[in-house]
Amino acid sequence: MFKYRKRVLAASAAIALAAGLAACGGDDGGESSDNPTGDAAATGEAGGTLNYLIYAPIEHVDPQRIYVGRDITNFSRTVYRQLVTFPISTDPEVSNTPVPDLATDTGTSEQGGKVWSFTVKDGVKWEDGQPITCEDFKYGASRVFATDVITGGPNYLLSYLDIPTDEKTGLPAYNGPYKGDGQELFDKAITCDGNTITYNFKKPWPDFPLAVAGLHMMDPYRQDKDQGDKSNFQIFSNGPYKLEGTWSKNKGATLVRNENYDPATDDPDNIRRALPESIVFNIGQTTETIYDQLIADSGDAQTAVTGQRVPPAYYNQIEGAVADRSSLQASPYVDYLVPNFRNMTDPKVREALKVATNAEAWINAGGGEKAYAPAESIVNPAVVGYQDNPAFSGPQEGDPEAAKALLEEAGVQTPFPITFTYPSSETADKQAAALKETWDAAGFDVTLDGLGDTYYDVIQKPNKESDVIWGGWGADWPSAITVTPPLFDSRINLTQNSDGQDYGAYKSDEFNSLVDQAQEAGTLEDQTAALQEADIVLGQDVAYIPLEIAQFYFLYGSKVTGFTTTPASSMYPDLGAIGVES
Amino acid sequence: MYAYVVRRLFVGVIMLIAMSLVTFVLFFASPIDPARYACGKNCSPELREQTRNALGYDKPVIVQWTDFLKGIVQGRDYPDDPELRAAAPELVTHCPAPCFGYSVVNTKTVNEEIKEAFPVSLSISVAAVVLWLFFGVLLGVMAAIRRGTIVDRGIVAAALVLYAFPSFFIGLFLLKFIAIKWELVDVPVYTTIAEGGIGGWLSSLLLPAVTLAMLYMAGYVRMTRAFVLESMTEDYVRTARAKGLRQNKVLVKHTMRAALTPLVTLIGLDFAGLMGGAIITETVFNYNGLGKLAYDANTTNDLPTIIGLVLLLGTFVILANIIVDMLYAVIDPRVRVG
Repeated sequence: MFKYRKRVLAASAAIALAAGLAACGGDDGGESSDNPTGDAAATGEAGGTLNYLIYAPIEHVDPQRIYVGRDITNFSRTVYRQLVTFPISTDPEVSNTPVPDLATDTGTSEQGGKVWSFTVKDGVKWEDGQPITCEDFKYGASRVFATDVITGGPNYLLSYLDIPTDEKTGLPAYNGPYKGDGQELFDKAITCDGNTITYNFKKPWPDFPLAVAGLHMMDPYRQDKDQGDKSNFQIFSNGPYKLEGTWSKNKGATLVRNENYDPATDDPDNIRRALPESIVFNIGQTTETIYDQLIADSGDAQTAVTGQRVPPAYYNQIEGAVADRSSLQASPYVDYLVPNFRNMTDPKVREALKVATNAEAWINAGGGEKAYAPAESIVNPAVVGYQDNPAFSGPQEGDPEAAKALLEEAGVQTPFPITFTYPSSETADKQAAALKETWDAAGFDVTLDGLGDTYYDVIQKPNKESDVIWGGWGADWPSAITVTPPLFDSRINLTQNSDGQDYGAYKSDEFNSLVDQAQEAGTLEDQTAALQEADIVLGQDVAYIPLEIAQFYFLYGSKVTGFTTTPASSMYPDLGAIGVES
Repeated sequence: MYAYVVRRLFVGVIMLIAMSLVTFVLFFASPIDPARYACGKNCSPELREQTRNALGYDKPVIVQWTDFLKGIVQGRDYPDDPELRAAAPELVTHCPAPCFGYSVVNTKTVNEEIKEAFPVSLSISVAAVVLWLFFGVLLGVMAAIRRGTIVDRGIVAAALVLYAFPSFFIGLFLLKFIAIKWELVDVPVYTTIAEGGIGGWLSSLLLPAVTLAMLYMAGYVRMTRAFVLESMTEDYVRTARAKGLRQNKVLVKHTMRAALTPLVTLIGLDFAGLMGGAIITETVFNYNGLGKLAYDANTTNDLPTIIGLVLLLGTFVILANIIVDMLYAVIDPRVRVG
């Protein structure tokens, strides 16, 4: 499952719902922490060593390759400053509004969002004391184009920056700084004038500052430190911490104070309080071992936080004093189903599937309200301009009778055979069985097709046998432009050999046209309006069926102070605010 | 003897070549596209194709396999991109012969990965072997010489119970209760001798080694008991006793020597298997040895690492077999190799 960053400049309705979800989780069963909403005003203590416990190895620590929400925020708060960034706040409207970081302001745009300029602050330095220059930002952006070396990172710049496409490869005519092909094209697209960097795009990018703050693709990079692929686990800091020794993919690393970081060039209260004297990233322990230690509150676990969710089997141990150290918040991720439009061509059959879908049973089988919250759109409530999709409002327990009537109207033979493909696990198998129950009762004949490691390779194949497919997604930055177009724009997804991320092979001129409108919009408001309309079209076509929003249920050590999760940190522990008793 | 070893080594090399080919074919027969994994989220078909080219997965399997074999003999450069080598040679990683490949997932050569993980697996394996041999053989002999007594029955029953527990259960039990809940020892973290001295190194091995030792020890208790009992009925043992030799001398000099021969085979193969990585134990304790490396490589479709580890494990087993066969001749004068 892709679990990536999403955060949000929330519209008022979105804020209300997000806050509601947070409060709901925090108040649940008396298991809220003493700081249930992660009140950013409650700050931690300075000094000591904070431990961050992580299960799976971090794939990339190279800024241009980092693409996981937890890692983006952890490195933003510690070692990689950005032109603009998101501040520490539990208020989504504040937390998802970029503030200046290495730039003097949040940027100025011209030509309806096609040109953006930022000025780099004076006095900002790398960990070796050298100044961060405009050229460093330009070089950092150039690395994004070296897609044969710098793999796995966000690649939005490839489609936005004003560089022609090579007809032979279908990729930009500039291939990064290493081989030099097309360098002159890049030098025209991004220019430096003193400390001012200007980006020229081929289409408007009204939410560019959100993208800059939401990812590290636009971060500065020092050319003399670049070793291409060999830089994947190297950190050259410009933030309040620096790497001590080397980063071990399977063990982690320790961050210590960066003596060349000047807080006067930062906004410590709102962006990086940098409270712990050092931060240890401890990688590799299983989630169960992490929670055994956190529950026992033993040893280094007393000063530990984690981005691993409490496993459902441990819920009954989070009670009493242990529950005071817990936090339950809605995550930025939404799980959903897509009907395969190649097989389920009749809209009434898709409608019947939607009506019969028992999302409540799915949630309950997956661990209940500590694991999931209901969703009414594929867009997370915290995303800018979120609105409930009217196609999915109301009860979500499934209505087999109504679905049966729709199948009869469709005139199809029942039981109507369908295959539900999902990534198998002990929990997912139970959840799939729960869905099957009401689908079968409605007149479908469901075959469950749980897959292992081959999941994404199978569901991306155009000739797959699946009729209903599970998916999970989070926005890359707080805009629906990073949600619905990547998942349902047939023009960028469907090819002869692959369905890309449009697993259901959905194809709609109406939807694509609204995506075009959003991408050509010169303002955030126009973009948001087009995307809202596009989501309604998806709902009408039953291009997807939302299942739930994953809940972030975390536990932390008793000596952790100021524990906070914010939209800026993708609802993971926000290292900008957290401290430990020293 | 020399010709025998050379012949066995030659057959072993042929087997390793065949194993590498089988691994390649199986990997590419799977529906998993390693380029999709490396390319990341929002990967367009064009980008995926470029990633596939960059990783070399666009070439026919047989070409990739022969490139791999050439790398073992000649060494290789990664990425194998002449244009990049000319423009920015410092970005190219040279993997000297014998090169087992380059892991894009871990951004290092497979040789480097093995070099880092090998000491961890070796440490755990040696510690476990010492524990299980000492206690397994000791208890097995005790059970044999007190056959039919409560001691014998108690040891055999305990061995059976231990044998019934899988290693993940024993490991999790030790970790969860001994280390975390009761805090009798620290949560184990692999410590090298350079980092923690001999004491630190040994204490870091305690729980993983005990986990493995308990599993293997149970089998060794039963087998030692059976082999010793069998030897005790041999004519030459009876003769030794009849000659008036003391019981301890009969046991050590005559009975144990015969009983050790089949044990050597088992020890050799078990040790070789462990050297290929105690996957479950290393994963439970988060020890970055060859077993955990293999587990991670499988979950990330890291073909070069998988192949490197398959060949390494194969080499261990083949070498262990040859060594065991040679040891037979040393231990038992009746056996002659060749």
